Parts: sequence; C-alpha cells; structure tokens
Amino acid sequence: MGKLWLICIASISILLPFLCNAFSPETPTDRRVLVLLDDFAIMSSHSLYFNALKSRGFDLEFKLADDPKIALQRYGQYLYDALILFCPSVERFGGSIDVAAIVNFVDSGHDLIVAADVNASDLIREVGTECGVDFDEDPSAMVIDHIGYAVSGTEGDHTLIASDDFIKSDVILGGKKIEAPILFRGIGHAVSPANSLVLKVLSASPSAYSANPKSKLSTPPPLTGSAISLVSIVQARNNARLLITGSLSMFSNRFFRSGVQKARSQTKHEKSGNEQFLTEISKWIFHERGHLKAVNVKHHRVGETDEPALYRINDELEYAVEIYEWSGTSWEPYVANDVQLQFYMMSPYVLKTLSSDKKGLYSTSFKVPDVYGVFQFKVEHQKLGYTSLSLSKQIPVRPYRHNEYERFIPAAYPYYGAAFSMMAGFFIFSFAHLYSK
Amino acid sequence: MARRLAGFLVLLLVVSICEAAFLFQPISDSHRSAALELFTPDHGSFKSLEETYEALRTFQILGIEKKPDLTATACRSISETVGSSSSTAKDLFYALKANSIAECKIDKKASKGIISRLNAAVSGASSLLDFYYSVGGLVLIKDQSSEADVHLADAEGVFRSVKAFSQSDGRWRYSSNNPESSAFAAGIALETLAGIVSLASSEIDQSLISTIKNDIIKLFDSIEKYDDGALYFDDKLVDGHEYQGPLSTTSSVLRGLTAFAAVTAENLNLPGDKMLGLAKFFLGICVPGDAKDFFNQIDSLACLESNRVSIPLILSFPSTVPSLTRKDSLKVGVSTVLGSEVPSLTVKLVGAFSSGSKDASLVESQELNFDKASGLHILNGLPKSIDVGSYTFVFEVVLHEPEHEEVYFMGSQTKVPISVTGLIKVENSEIAVLDSDLGSIESQKKLDLAGKNAISLSANHLQKLRLSFQLTTPHGRSFKPHQAFLKLRHESKVEHIFVVGNSGKQFEIVLNFLGLVEKFFYLSGKYDMELTIGDAAMENSLLVAIGHIELDLPEAPEKAPRPPPQPVDPYSRYGPKAEITHIFRSPEKRPPQELSLAFLGLTILPLLGFLIGLLRLGVNLKNFPTKPVPATFAVLFHVGIGAVLLLYVFFWVKLDLFQTLKLLGFLGVFLVFVGHRILSHLAAASAKLKSA
Repeated sequence: MGKLWLICIASISILLPFLCNAFSPETPTDRRVLVLLDDFAIMSSHSLYFNALKSRGFDLEFKLADDPKIALQRYGQYLYDALILFCPSVERFGGSIDVAAIVNFVDSGHDLIVAADVNASDLIREVGTECGVDFDEDPSAMVIDHIGYAVSGTEGDHTLIASDDFIKSDVILGGKKIEAPILFRGIGHAVSPANSLVLKVLSASPSAYSANPKSKLSTPPPLTGSAISLVSIVQARNNARLLITGSLSMFSNRFFRSGVQKARSQTKHEKSGNEQFLTEISKWIFHERGHLKAVNVKHHRVGETDEPALYRINDELEYAVEIYEWSGTSWEPYVANDVQLQFYMMSPYVLKTLSSDKKGLYSTSFKVPDVYGVFQFKVEHQKLGYTSLSLSKQIPVRPYRHNEYERFIPAAYPYYGAAFSMMAGFFIFSFAHLYSK
Repeated sequence: MARRLAGFLVLLLVVSICEAAFLFQPISDSHRSAALELFTPDHGSFKSLEETYEALRTFQILGIEKKPDLTATACRSISETVGSSSSTAKDLFYALKANSIAECKIDKKASKGIISRLNAAVSGASSLLDFYYSVGGLVLIKDQSSEADVHLADAEGVFRSVKAFSQSDGRWRYSSNNPESSAFAAGIALETLAGIVSLASSEIDQSLISTIKNDIIKLFDSIEKYDDGALYFDDKLVDGHEYQGPLSTTSSVLRGLTAFAAVTAENLNLPGDKMLGLAKFFLGICVPGDAKDFFNQIDSLACLESNRVSIPLILSFPSTVPSLTRKDSLKVGVSTVLGSEVPSLTVKLVGAFSSGSKDASLVESQELNFDKASGLHILNGLPKSIDVGSYTFVFEVVLHEPEHEEVYFMGSQTKVPISVTGLIKVENSEIAVLDSDLGSIESQKKLDLAGKNAISLSANHLQKLRLSFQLTTPHGRSFKPHQAFLKLRHESKVEHIFVVGNSGKQFEIVLNFLGLVEKFFYLSGKYDMELTIGDAAMENSLLVAIGHIELDLPEAPEKAPRPPPQPVDPYSRYGPKAEITHIFRSPEKRPPQELSLAFLGLTILPLLGFLIGLLRLGVNLKNFPTKPVPATFAVLFHVGIGAVLLLYVFFWVKLDLFQTLKLLGFLGVFLVFVGHRILSHLAAASAKLKSA
C-alpha cells in the first residue's frame, strides 16, 4: 500500500509540470478549466454552454467561489489553464484566490472569462477594472434600450436587449455570420480609450443607456450609446485572452434556446444568436482560433541554400518563414496576405509584404540596402484577433571588400594607358640610356 | 448567515434565469423539445437502467410518444437484469421501475425468484438504501403482477427498523453508524415507509403512522424560502458524495411525501401554500440542462399534480405587456403545474396599483370572462383609469365547487406586474437660438420628431439654445419618459449629453453656452444634435438626428482642460503598413566609353613622340657589352626590368598587393644583383674609356 502511494506521488510530481501550463505552442492541448460559481444551480441552468466546452475536450472543474479549498496554484505550479468566473455576487473568494492571484494567473498567460451581472460585487468589478474595463458604478444600473430591445410577452422594462452590433472579425466570431441578435440582460461597461488591448466585441446600439430602470434620471447617465460595451475581449501582450461581459444570463440555457425578435423588426428568429456567439468566442478565448506560431525562419542569398553569417551590401537575399494557426486539434496553415517583413536598423530600411503559397509558407526576396551595420529581420504581425507574431533575427551587413569593387573602369583607361605607356617608355629609355653611344 | 446568503444567491440566479420573477409558466412545449434533446440514448440504449427509467418516466409524464426501439432495448436490459442472479437489489429496483412504464413481459419464474431474493434483502437490510431498494422492488412487483402474492411478513418490525434512522428534526440518516442526517434521506425513508405500509399484510399501528406524520411536519419546518414564495429543501453542504443539491433533495422529499400520503388514510395537515411554494420552486428553474435535474423537476411536478395533500394551481399570462393603442386585452390562464385542465373557476381582478406607490386600487373589483375556445380568462379592454406605465395587478381565483377547495390550492391573491404601453404623442417640438441678455429669439425652427430633420443653426458663446417639445399619453395626460437626452457631438467625436427636464407636459432644455464653454473644451465648430426619447411604456421611442449647430466659442486659455482621448477605431489600428523600399545610392556619373578610349589614345601619343625623338637622335646600342658574361648580365637585367613591369601589368589585371610584393621582392633582389653587375661593368668600361 505504502509503495503504491510512493508511486502515485512520484508520478504526480513528474506529471504535474506538464499538466497545467498556459497555452503554449508546444503543448497546445490538455486544458483544465476552473469554473467558479455562486451556486451549483448554474451548472444545470447554464449547462448548454458548459457542455459545448466539455464536448471540445475541456476538463471543467466546478467550484463554489467561496469554497475555502480552491486554489489556482500549488507548489508554484498552476493547476488550471483557464478560469471562468460565473460568480457575479461573490464578495470574497475562498481559499487563496484574490484579485492579485487572478491578475498573476492572467499575467502568466492563462485565459479568463468573467461574467458580471446586475448587483455585481465590488470584487468582480475590481477584476473587471484589472482587465481594462469599467463597469457602471451604479450597482442597480442596467443597460436599457428602448429601441433595440427584444420583444417579449412578459417583460416591459426593455432591459432584455437584442444586440447585433458585432466586431467585424472572422477570427473572433468565426467565419459563419451570426444571423440572430444576441440576448443580453445585465450591466454595461466602458472600454478605456487609452487601452489598446481591449476590444468591444458586442456594443450596444446608439439608443442604449445604462441606468437604474426603476428610478428617474436627473443627471445624464455615465454610459450611453454605442460607447457601452456589452461584451469585451482582451488579448494581453503575453497572448492571454480574456472575455468580460456584464451579463451572466446571456450564457444561460434559457437565452440559448429562446427565440428572439428585435423590436421594430418583423423577422423572428427561432433561436437567439447567443449560443453561436458565445461558443465561437470561447473558441477564440481558448486559443482554438487566431493563435499563430512561426517556424522555420530561413534566409539566404539568391541561388544558395545555406544561411550566411552576414550579408554584403547590395546582396540579393531570400527570406522565408512558415506560419501556422492552431485549430483546436492541429496546426493549420495560416493564410493571409498582409504578413510583412522589415529589414530593420533603428528604422525599417525595407518593409515588404511576404507572398504566401497558401500552405503556410511566406517568402520574399529583396536586395540588401547599401548601408552597412547590424540589421534585423523583423516580422511584426499584428492583426485584429490574432496573437501577435514578433520574430526578429539579427544579421550584420558589411560593405564591399577592397577587391570587390569594380576593377576595370573604362573611364580610368586614360590613366592606365598613361601608366603603361610610361612603363614602356622607361623600358626603352633604359636601353637608350645604357647602351647608346 | 452563510446559508441565507447561499439562498439569496440561488434566488438571484432563479430571477436571472426565469423571465419575470413572480410569474410562473406551466410546463410547455419547450420542455418537450428539451426532453428529447436531453434523453438521447447513445447507441440505442441508456447507460444504466436508472437512466432508462428516468427517460421513460419523463416521456410518459410529458406525453411524448416513446420511440418503439427505446422500449425494445429497455425490455432487453430489464429481462437481462431480472434474469440474472447476480444483480443487486438496486439493479432489480430500477429494472422493475423501468418495467412499470415499459410494461415488458417478465416470466413468472423469474419474478418468483426476485420476490424471494428481495424478501431476503429486506430482512438482511442494515441501511436505509438497502430497505429502499428491496421494499421498493417488492412494491413494484406487487403493482405489476396481480397474481403474485407479495407481502411483508413482519411489516411492523421492518417499519420500526426504518423508523430507527429518523432524527428529531425530521431528517433521516442513511445508516445507524452514519451521524449525518439529511432531508434527501428523509424523502427516501418516507417512500420506503409508504412501501412497507402498502405491503403490510395487516394494519400498521396507527401510532407509528402518526409519529411519521409528526416527522413530516417537523421536516417542513426546516423548509427554506425565496423572496418570490418558492420553497425548497436543502441539506447542509457536506463533502461526501451524499450532497445532492436543492433540486434533488426537494424532489426526493416530495416523492416520499406523495407516496406516503397515498397510502395513509389520514390527512397530513400540510398547508396548501407549502405545496404551492414547492411548485413555484420547480417551475422557477425553467428548463434544466441536465437529464437528472430534468427528470427530478418533471417527476416532482407530476407528484404535485397527483398528490393527495393539495394540488397547486398556477396563473399564467401569455403577455403582461398590453398595449393601449392596440387595445390589447389581458389574458389569464389557470392550469396545474403540468399545464392540464382545471375545474371550473372564476378569475377576479381585485386591484391594480401603480407600481412604486401604495395608493388605493385604481380599479374596481371585476370578474374576467372565460373564453372556452382558448381556455383563457380574458379582461376585455383595460379599465379607463389605467394609462401607460407599469402596474401591479392583483388577481384572485375562486373555485366554483366547494369540494374542489379541498383538492386544489391557489393562494389567496396573485400579484402580477403589468406594464401597459402605448403610442405617445410628440407635439410642439421646436428649437431656437436665443440672445442671452434679452432672451429675444434669434432663429426658431419647428421640428418634426417623427420624420427627418436637417436643421442648421449657428450660435456663439453669448447665446443660448432652447429645445422644447410636449409628450402626451393616449389618455391625454402628461408623460415623463425615462430617457430624454439631447446629445451634442463635436466633429472630433467628443460627446455631451443633457437630460431634458419637464414641467408638466412641456419638456424644455436651455443650453447657455456661456456656462458650457469649459465643459465643451472651447471646441468651436460643427456639433451634431441628436434627441433620444424613450420609455418602457412608449411604443414609439425615438432617436432622431435633429441637425447641427455651428458653435463659435472663444479661444481656449492655456490652462483649459483638454478633451478626453477618443477611442481608436480597432480596424485602423492594425492592418498592413505601407511598403518601404530602400533607395540605393545612384552610381557615379561616368564619361562615355568612347571619350575614355579617345583619351587612352592620347596618352599613348607621348610614347610615340618619345620613340620618334629617340630615332631622330640616332640612338644605338653600340655600348652593349660584347663579352659574353656582361652581355648575359645585361640581358638578364633588362629581362628583370621587363618582368617587374609585367608584374605591374599582372597586378592590374589579377594579382593582389601581397602577391605582387612577394614576387617583387624576389625580382628586386635579382635586379639589384644583375643590375649591380652590369652597371659596374658599364661604369668600369666608361672609366677605362676616359682614362684612355
């Protein structure tokens, strides 16, 4: 029995480092997700969303947010690859989790989904602030839209919003167009204009505003119109991905299954767009789309195959790199026409769009500038929704050697001619001088 | 405290999941389609007989036609389990349960064997679950085959040993050595006891039954409550696998209660509002996403529908947002929890209150008309006193036949939030620029807020802008919308929002630009104006662009606040950059080759002149040594000079400096040697000539 324990512990300690790392191009699978809930009833009321995740191979672990035993890391190793906070009203996390722990979790490249709701606790608002969005500070405020609401027989306060103002990005929302509007009920948030990492995925309509529906308005609401973000995403500089929304109910089975008809529109959709929207966006969050890796960076002179240690000015060179995108199961060739290469020393001397063979190989050729120094090959590929690719490779460029200059310049022939005629004259003169009588 | 908090959280959730908090809809078609989605067998059969039973039972309650292959595969696994001698009491129990719906043929010999095995299991049982499965199995056999003679010999003894697990608070333990008690176990125990009573060959002692009755009443004392009146049971959260969650626990208690109430002749004296509260709990969770939860919900609702304590009735509303303009009538449906027919009754509207105020009722009590075709009670036309806005309507249900009051329970009054909508008239809308000091109107324009406007105004910081309009409800009263914003948007996308206030019907906003220059960041230029009027009760909420105003504001002083940064368009932030190609240094300008060649020719001319000059001077080689040794040295000397010159030619053509110097070194030494010889010979010869 004791032996068995030893084996168990040994195998765990060996396996542990491999189990729970953030998404990395080397080990892109095996993803464990911690789901923190206010109540276990969410497991059943939001089961369609969870099942969609499970069916894609995610290992969800459900815990109450105030469970004293929860922890994100143990012995310096993270236990999970991603965190889902479906606990809008939690005042204090149990165990060792707090806002700083969550921020560290994200800082080490892990993904996060945060769903707030009306009466969201200060803790969840603080998490939102750390992620770069500001929820409406009024605790009882909701997003109200008297023009873009969803028609419902039993609701008259227009807080159930049908929104279809999506970000235009196939990589975030999938290639298939989302036909039906998204049902949303909850609080709005604003995205700081100074923060370039946060993107509004779903915005409210121009007629929306964020206020308490039950009290009269005397001052203008802090959030109005399409500045209100309903769902936002963040892609951090370390490629950790975050989803922030002010509505937990938009993930619920009821909203997934519910039909939707936008006010003043005659089309009635059988099913709201929530399922498609949230499933597609979760694919993005969990790096099943838009995660790029670059391999096999090669460069050489035209006509050669080996990579030289340095180039001479005015050399013709070829540069090639292979870029792949993770599809959830395998690395697929990345097809784009805007991958650019810079030949860079302090500033780009050459900036060229690489041509693609549609199988992941990007290549180009150009002439080394006639400036010598230490250059870099730089591929800085930043595209909406994709992880940023940043490759750089240093390469020195030397000037011509003394014997590499042009040797017979026609314009210099008179000088050569003068020298040689002088030499011939000297030769003849030596005879004349020595032997003439 | 923590417990109450947890309860509150669940409530929040329920509120957020189910549409209106205080409205409950009976089971509908959405449940039926969800059931078919949730109970889908993999490869034609369910994982266990328990799941098979749950699927069959759910389909039965919802009236979904079972697929024949489901029954066939179920029968196969039932007969396998029943026929096998190794199957446990639990397996047999679920096999028999599934069979009670699938109605397969079980052969008599097998059923006899089961009876004896289950009887043995009853006498050997030590834990609550043992009793539950074995007694439950016997009850099922008794129900399924009329011929089999199934009874418990020592029913009272078994009854007492099950009773031994009960706790003083009405909860039960699973076994005698497990101190944890739970409401879930209480439900199981009640079901077991009901089974024992029905299996007993002789009457069970009435005092035993009444102690159980007391236990049930105690158990109901520990029931928990939500704000909307939903009641549920929950166990303390323990780490063990026994924790079931409120849905399973409540469902288990309800199943036990129904079974127990069915076998005892006595009235359990449970108030009907408890049952209604339980019904609200099960309806409040809408459509669960988990097969087990779904079964628990549907099975519990079926228990509520058929129990002997009291059958709750539910008021349902197809719509609670009637429109005044369309003259909608308010419809009320009354049904049981599963949506089935109810006895004849009358629905009365006993009051209507404007929400937020506690004034007297706005309407007189009135009965609703029953429409036989649709089965709905209809309030034809809203009362005159009801204008647009949100109200709380109070309904009361009166059963026609007094004996039904024993069976059904409705609750005294049901409060329903109703929001009445209508078209709001927007009139007298106009916009004007006023001179500040005199208040005289500079330019005034009428607006048509229903249509398009393209007004262009101009003002400086000493003037004012006035916008006014009137809103009237369909009943001619003044209307104050929740949202009445005027938005000014500068060309640089800086926005300013103002709330339009009202006095009575008249809405007016006056923007005094003198006081606003700082707020406007001293930004002169074109401002687009946009007016938004919206309210939940307003069917024609509007968002209209009015036009624009050219503002001429003073120059910003140095310390004026700067406008906040505006968000960058995410699409323009990324994307390919413009290509850069290096501009190479252009090669130096060179003369044409012909010119170079011409000059090359010119450089040869002096040599030619030199040669001609030599010939003219009559240069000869008479001094050339005649003796062989000096002649050899002379030849070698000139060959050496020639070689050095040739080396220079090679240096030009291909050699580099080092090769050249190396060779030149050898040639130099050689030249010095031969040169010395020949020159000294020539010097000696000329000296001899002079002295001679």
